[in-house]
Amino acid sequence: MNSNNKYPSLGFGLGLRKEHYNAILDTKPAVDWFEILTENYLVPGGKPLYFLDQICERYPVVMHGVSMSLGSYDPLDMDYLKQVKELAKRTNAKWISDHMCFTGVDGINAHDLLPLPYTDEAIQHVSQKIAQAQDYLGMQILVENASTYITYKQSAMTEWDFTTAVAEESNSLVLLDINNIFVSAYNHGFDPLDYLDGIPADRVQQHHLAGHSQYDGYIIDTHDHDIVQGVWGLYAEAIKRYGQVSVMIERDDNIPELPAMMSELQMARDIFAETTQQTTEVQHV
Amino acid sequence: MSKRTIKTSSEPLSQPSSELHRLQKSMMAWLINKDTEAVKPDIVDTGEVSKVSIEQRLAVYGNAYGYRLIDALSENYPAVHTLLGDDDFYKMTYAYMDAYPSQHFSLRYFGHQLESFLKTYHSDMPILTEMAKFEWALRKGFDAADSKTLTLEALQDIAIEQWAELTFTFHSSVSRLDLAWNTPQLWTAIDEESEPMPPEKLDHPYAWLLWRKELLTYYRSLDVDEAWALDTALQGGNFSELCEGVCEWIDAEHAPSRIAGFLSQWLQDDLLVALA
Repeated sequence: MNSNNKYPSLGFGLGLRKEHYNAILDTKPAVDWFEILTENYLVPGGKPLYFLDQICERYPVVMHGVSMSLGSYDPLDMDYLKQVKELAKRTNAKWISDHMCFTGVDGINAHDLLPLPYTDEAIQHVSQKIAQAQDYLGMQILVENASTYITYKQSAMTEWDFTTAVAEESNSLVLLDINNIFVSAYNHGFDPLDYLDGIPADRVQQHHLAGHSQYDGYIIDTHDHDIVQGVWGLYAEAIKRYGQVSVMIERDDNIPELPAMMSELQMARDIFAETTQQTTEVQHV
Repeated sequence: MSKRTIKTSSEPLSQPSSELHRLQKSMMAWLINKDTEAVKPDIVDTGEVSKVSIEQRLAVYGNAYGYRLIDALSENYPAVHTLLGDDDFYKMTYAYMDAYPSQHFSLRYFGHQLESFLKTYHSDMPILTEMAKFEWALRKGFDAADSKTLTLEALQDIAIEQWAELTFTFHSSVSRLDLAWNTPQLWTAIDEESEPMPPEKLDHPYAWLLWRKELLTYYRSLDVDEAWALDTALQGGNFSELCEGVCEWIDAEHAPSRIAGFLSQWLQDDLLVALA
């Protein structure tokens, strides 16, 4: 199945964080769009929604959640999906994303992005849940590759083959997190370019860029540091393969002032401009 | 919400219905019960190649699970955290996680059982139970549903003959607590990062009101008659009943003006959303 119906690209965005609410409203930074953390706004009222409503008046917004638990053996939480749908209406969200993972099972929530085995059973299971979520929400959703630290013995294919199979089976789109590919490649010893080569461009709707923490022998996806050179390099490789894809900086901890985030966003713009220029020059030779 | 236990694949009453289900139950058994053996046989050992053992890899998930829930509890209960100190707060949180693993999609609600948990887990420190109650009420006020509140002008529209039957609908951020300790004062000191006074049990419980006005959360103590009137109004009591009941503390001839004074204050505090 071919997607053929990706959403229009939004350009260069930032993750919306409460530390930046006032700076955003006061300075109106040149950010093309914001990605909100869905669960932070699934509350009855108060300050979070007060600021969100104002930002939605000024910027396009997409929703990024961590609770759909698309891989869990448990059924979808329809109360959660109902709230997600209502928030999407309130924010006029351009799209909704979540993760390729399970966050709990048997009614218990670990609040973590736990890895799936790359098996045919998992492809069928996740795809059915994505299709069900898309039917309910009335829109194609994006599913993000999570950073992983273990490999199950049951896995019978690569992560990128699994991701592609799920996207095609469920006719969903891919949120390709460049940092997560970098982290998982290091942790599992695969070539990140093989990953990029394995994901069809017509499924890639969005990128995340983020920092991580290096430990002795492994990397943890902490989102609390600046983006490292290796991830910037991998982003350039993604541009060569997928072209103009909505991209944003995802920072969740040790959050700097807005100008520092704007500098990283400018870096993404510069890399995109340089890479597309080089690609064009090569094509013209 | 009842206490849940995590059943592993080895428990006969909880047979997984597929390999995917079994793996997920095993992973959760590791996270919740720290049962490494439940999932370790399913993990590829790359120790010789990467020098990172299965235990180290699983610890990334195990640590993240603990840290995330500690952060969530600390965010909702900063004064409980301060009163306990880091080490005891972490220890308490792990015990709470075991007793009440999260069953809600949002971390916002993970701490909803902390007050009752502390009542037994820290029966030696009753101030903690009361502080948890106070902080949960503040949290409720922080993100309670938005409602347009009434102004003093709303009272002017009430016809004289309607006053006796008049009832009141309050903003959903409103909480009424009776506190036996100097909990609000202690919370304020901790919030302002000043030297907290020692916890002190009072001669008798004092009545407190917590609510949100616009975006800010407030709390204030109540005189005994206002506390009674507020409780009665919250339960649907009408103006006539309030006037009658408040006579326990003042003369009947002053009762209507006393209640009208409360109403005026409640309106100024943005507590009321409807009159009927």
